[in-house]
Amino acid sequence: MNHREDEKLKAALKQALPPMADVELGRDLWPQMLRKLGEQAIRVPWWDWTLAALVASSFFFFPRAIPVILYLF
Amino acid sequence: MNTHPYLRAYMAGIAVPTLALLAIMTAFTIARHVYDVPLPMERVIVFPMAIVPNLFGLWNILYVAMGSGRRLPIGFHGATLPFVLAPIGLTMATSLGFLTLGQDALVWFEVLSIPYSILVAIFLVTLIIYYLVWKYLVAFLNGQLGIA
Repeated sequence: MNHREDEKLKAALKQALPPMADVELGRDLWPQMLRKLGEQAIRVPWWDWTLAALVASSFFFFPRAIPVILYLF
Repeated sequence: MNTHPYLRAYMAGIAVPTLALLAIMTAFTIARHVYDVPLPMERVIVFPMAIVPNLFGLWNILYVAMGSGRRLPIGFHGATLPFVLAPIGLTMATSLGFLTLGQDALVWFEVLSIPYSILVAIFLVTLIIYYLVWKYLVAFLNGQLGIA
């Protein structure tokens, strides 16, 4: 491919792919990103804390259950 | 484009018990080799290593397949899994010889006697653990993989 064919190819490509008119974002994404970062990822209700405490106390009062539960997990 | 939701559901499902298996293996190994508890490791570990993770994966596929209209909340869906797992686990433990059904109690590993009345409480605790694990861990993984 010689220099002249290169130029023709370049011109054909430019014609086929016109430059994009508007490359700027329509809005600022940073506030949305900050809001997302500030969100609490997981909200644990009080009854789930109660259930977790119940599980922990059952292990404390009846440690023999631990191997059985490990086996079933 | 096929996004393979069931494959992702399976992977999200098996992740938690696979990680838990590390802790379980460690606990059983310490019990066996440090405290000399007569645990037949190679027989005990089959159920937590092979059956439990696969059932978690399949249960999560079922959760995704049921669609948002028909399924239970994920915590309750997970809490129903021990109703399937426990009979399989107890049957395997009995047939592999490390669980004996006594008159008043189950005897695990020939040393650990658990009365039947306490067994009900243990099952309830297991349900709670499954509820919490599915509600927070499996649901988190499902969210990360964009399936539920």
